[in-house]
Amino acid sequence: MYVCVCIKKKKSSSHPSGGVHPSFSSGPLPEARKLEGSLPNLLFYGPPGTGKTSTILAAARELYGPELYKQRVLELNASDERGIQVIREKVKNFAQLTVAGTRSDGKPCPPFKIIILDEADSMTAPAQAALRRTMEKESRSTRFCLICNYISRIIEPLTSRCSKFRFNPLADQVQEKRLLEICEKEKLKYTIESILALVRVSEGDLRKAITFLQSAARLNVNNEITELAVIEIAGVVPTKMINDLLQVCLKGSFEKQEFAVMSMVNEGYAATQILSQLHDCIIEQDLSDEHKSVITEKMAVVDKCLSDGADEYLQLLSLCSAIVPQAPQNN
Amino acid sequence: MLSFLTNCSVDQSFIDLTGQNLFDCREKRGQILGSQIEPMRPRKRKGEICSSDLGHRKQDEPWVDRYTPCSKVDLAVHKKKVEEVENWLKVHTDGSQGGLLLLTGPSGCGKTATIQVLSLELGLRIQEWTNPPKLDSYTNSQQVSFDIFMSVKSKFHLTSQSAQFQEFLLRANKYNCLKMVGDARSFFPMSIQVFDKYTVFSCLGCAHSCCAVSSRCFVKTSRFPLVFIVSNSPSADSSSRFLFPRELMEELHISNISFNPVAPTTMMKVLTRILTNEDGKSNGRVIVPDQTVLEMVCSGSSGDIRSAINNLQFASQKEALRGNHPLKSKVMAVSRSTLRKKSKPKNGQEGQPPVGMKDTCLFLFRALGKILHCKKAECAFALQLPSHLSQHHRESLQVDPEWVIEHSYVSGEFFNLYLHQNYLDFFSEMEDVEKASEYMSDADLLTSDWMSSNTMREYASSVATRGLLHSNSQQIAVGFRPLHKPNWLLVSKKHRENCLAAQFLFRHFCMTPVSLQTELLPYLAKFTNPFKNQAEITFIQDVGHLPLKRFSLRYSSYSIPFIACLRCTR
Amino acid sequence: MSLWVDKYRPTSLGKLDYHQEQASQLKNLVQCGDFPHLLVYGPSGAGKKTRIMCLLRELYGAGVEKLRIEHQTIVAPSKKKIEINTIASNYHLEVNPSDAGYQDRVVIQELIKTMAQSQQIQASTQREFKVVLLTEVDRLTKDAQHALRRTMEKYMATCRLVLCSTSTSKVIGPIRSRCLAVRVPLPSTEEVCNVLTSVCKKEGLLLPPELAKRISDKSGRNLRKALLMCEACRVQQYPFSADQDVTEPDWEVFLRETANYIVSQQTPQRLLEVRGRLYELLTHCIPADIIMKGLVRELLNNCDGHLKPEVAHMAAYYEHRLQLGNKAIYHLEAFTAKFMAVYKKFMEDGLDGMMF
Repeated sequence: MYVCVCIKKKKSSSHPSGGVHPSFSSGPLPEARKLEGSLPNLLFYGPPGTGKTSTILAAARELYGPELYKQRVLELNASDERGIQVIREKVKNFAQLTVAGTRSDGKPCPPFKIIILDEADSMTAPAQAALRRTMEKESRSTRFCLICNYISRIIEPLTSRCSKFRFNPLADQVQEKRLLEICEKEKLKYTIESILALVRVSEGDLRKAITFLQSAARLNVNNEITELAVIEIAGVVPTKMINDLLQVCLKGSFEKQEFAVMSMVNEGYAATQILSQLHDCIIEQDLSDEHKSVITEKMAVVDKCLSDGADEYLQLLSLCSAIVPQAPQNN
Repeated sequence: MLSFLTNCSVDQSFIDLTGQNLFDCREKRGQILGSQIEPMRPRKRKGEICSSDLGHRKQDEPWVDRYTPCSKVDLAVHKKKVEEVENWLKVHTDGSQGGLLLLTGPSGCGKTATIQVLSLELGLRIQEWTNPPKLDSYTNSQQVSFDIFMSVKSKFHLTSQSAQFQEFLLRANKYNCLKMVGDARSFFPMSIQVFDKYTVFSCLGCAHSCCAVSSRCFVKTSRFPLVFIVSNSPSADSSSRFLFPRELMEELHISNISFNPVAPTTMMKVLTRILTNEDGKSNGRVIVPDQTVLEMVCSGSSGDIRSAINNLQFASQKEALRGNHPLKSKVMAVSRSTLRKKSKPKNGQEGQPPVGMKDTCLFLFRALGKILHCKKAECAFALQLPSHLSQHHRESLQVDPEWVIEHSYVSGEFFNLYLHQNYLDFFSEMEDVEKASEYMSDADLLTSDWMSSNTMREYASSVATRGLLHSNSQQIAVGFRPLHKPNWLLVSKKHRENCLAAQFLFRHFCMTPVSLQTELLPYLAKFTNPFKNQAEITFIQDVGHLPLKRFSLRYSSYSIPFIACLRCTR
Repeated sequence: MSLWVDKYRPTSLGKLDYHQEQASQLKNLVQCGDFPHLLVYGPSGAGKKTRIMCLLRELYGAGVEKLRIEHQTIVAPSKKKIEINTIASNYHLEVNPSDAGYQDRVVIQELIKTMAQSQQIQASTQREFKVVLLTEVDRLTKDAQHALRRTMEKYMATCRLVLCSTSTSKVIGPIRSRCLAVRVPLPSTEEVCNVLTSVCKKEGLLLPPELAKRISDKSGRNLRKALLMCEACRVQQYPFSADQDVTEPDWEVFLRETANYIVSQQTPQRLLEVRGRLYELLTHCIPADIIMKGLVRELLNNCDGHLKPEVAHMAAYYEHRLQLGNKAIYHLEAFTAKFMAVYKKFMEDGLDGMMF
């Protein structure tokens, strides 16, 4: 609950002032709001934590005010049942209701309802197909807002019916600013390194960053939130360990690799995490493209095996011994 | 099908009810036999001639039913066996002492028929219990037979099987006591029939316990003999041993008489008799097959007289006159559909599918042999491979692996298991084994996803067989090699059972299964800790210890320095 | 008489032997009143369960130590009955959902539902929620994990989840992001030594530091294993001597012998014998993946350095197949055969090299 409260607290209760994408808040939506009557169907896509849901919720609140909000907005996300049956009944029924163009207090409000389909990419293709007709038929009184991470998983007929908005990962400075604001409001003790670390580990996902910050604050009630604490909570392997591992892979003997991998696993770090961090390191490493491609190909194989449930130690060991022949001195 | 056939247990009206509910042929026979013996289910009848009553039979009735034996002479069982059973019955029907008899033997060798004929001749009465083939299939098919017995009380009282059996025993005992007043010599041999190994497995648990428990109390309370009939199929010959372990046999003084398959000469006699009978009265509707067909039927049934008669009837149908060799092909077809027969492969031609005539088990091993011995034809027009692929050149195959698998009557996975168990004996080169084992691994991977495994199964067995054939590059003349059953099924079953047992017995340690099995158990075996109970101690002794043979380390310890010095000298 | 492992298990966060900083953080977590879902992960034998139990004690007091083992039957929508063992106190419920196989989704949902709906017996404990402890979360099916994420939100008011897992690799992202992740690394060799020494002291035994060092080396920093080893040494011989044999589990010795078998001769017949030995291990409750790992370790120790990378690749390849496939023996055997072939080739090349 606290997470929600904390995040929600920081997020906008009304749209323009919120923690929403700055490029966006001055972007198309306010204009759309001005147009009001002619808001198109929307499709928001982009990586998680970039404020897609917050944006549409804030906009809806702005449009309808707290009273009408409940009647006018239907929000469905992946946790709700969203098979073809639900689309046919619940969504259709909601869409068929007609609405007036004024609020109870007499102010004008748009004469349509909004249906928000969060995480639309997890809807089945038949369910999406069923949506198509509804969308067209009820366009007079209903607007749809589809939100997804991967636009490729939305069927073509739906994307063509919506105006698409891509949400880019939040810029580091924006995230940093938000986090600092939160720290001030919650009166947390922090170091600037820890905030930077938060920005780094969250990879543009503001929700993740705030969640981490909150967890860190809980665990270190009276202490300063350090960079180490942040890294620990995020489950990220310290950069030094990754670098050491890479050096061993490039230079060391098989026995040393064995030992290094073993101690990594013993420390409890997840192999997928090690893999992705190692990947970043390899990309930046001073190797020829050819060698890099060989290594990354092996990484892809290892990642697949790991997701199939293969043993972490054996997979990592195999990866490490695959890096060796690509090392500069071996060529 | 769960069938309680209780004919004369209560009173006459009950008999009528029974008769109506059953098939009409039974009703008929009930009249013929003077309502003395309620016949078994028609399929299970031992086909023998009951000469006097032939005229009354319907034409479309299966011969198996029509020629049910009704006197000792008609029985196709060896005289001595019949005598043995008869003596036992006589001894145990004095009214003083009940007893337990266990009749075993392959299916269709006349066990049930013997009991029926004898009880008829001795003037005894039978109550029969038949196991339901599956425990959980409470379907419509049972209801008919089910309420025959239960109609008196609760109709669909779905009690557990053992409870049903106990109630049956109790009832049988009680009603007979009533009957005793009028008829001093009535008794009921009762039969558990275990028809095939599926039944054995599905009913094992409860049948076992119920046999043990119920028979114990039966022995104590009853003065009437109880006969268990267990047919053991050749592949699951241990069924009777499962049901009746030796301790139980000794404890309850169960006598055991085992029947042999019906001898070919006897069978020929019976078949001929049936044919002459049918021919005499059929007005040409029946074609008398010639001697060779008779012989084929006879040998194809491998001592199962029931299926022999079925086949015979089919072979002599007029409609069979269609193709050029109608009789033969029909016999083939019939025997293919009834898979249980075995015979010596008389006609060894490859093209003709004489398959069904053989026992699956035997044929399976032949099929394995075909793959493992890897016969290759010297084919003149073999496709020449380009030189860089020349190491993959193989002579073309004599047999089609898919054909072999299809005709082995086992699933592809099972066939692969057999192959896996045996292939190593036929390989001489490690490189070949490496490839072959990889193919086996591939085959397993193909069927791993349950969604697609149905479609992939064929491909998997194809990959395995062809992979084996291909990878065996240097076929050595191995001569005869014994083939073995796959161990894996047993091993994996034991693995599962042991794991479950471990988790159950040591659950108070609150550990995850893996750490329990790999860390705690091996050490518990080394401690002298007093355990809580005997079960834990035996389990630990059984599972915790591995048979460690001190293996001489000579090879391995020398091999590494050896290589090391090789590198130096180079 | 209980095992040392159980007898000297710390029962409060303050008494933990290592990772004390983490312990104090957990204490903070309890005191700050609002308790999130937890995901505790780390290798086997690192003390995850110990920490969780300490945490529960911190939350609810000594009442959580009154455990009872319950046997529950849950009816799946398909009318299939699933039987599962749970360990429960008045305040929490521990369950290993992987016992239920592929029906784990139903089991989890049902258990959490019943747990969340039953009221806390004593209001005085001041915790309005109960705790459901799920072990071996990494072995949950994806289906169950997705179901879990909904359940977690739905019953947040009355129920907290503590998930226990060896690695987060197999836990899906949405669950990870809903939990506070707590990593429990294995204790260092010195920490293991310290624990062993203090346990022996409490038992009134004198443990030579050399032996303690050797035990902790051999245990691979797995504290549970180290304690069991130590107790086995005590059974074997007391007073301890510094150079006494550290008792290893039978199956590890057996595997080493098997590896020697493989290295000493590479023929189909030998492979057949090895298969027999693998069967033997399987029937003695050793899981196939553990056999694979153990075998790889022993073979790596036994073969030349130039072969090792190749062996590592083979091992990774076949272990992956082992996880996917149905019948473990195919893959174990294929790995062994592959190793034999490679090793044989290597030896023959070596011999040829010597000829010239």
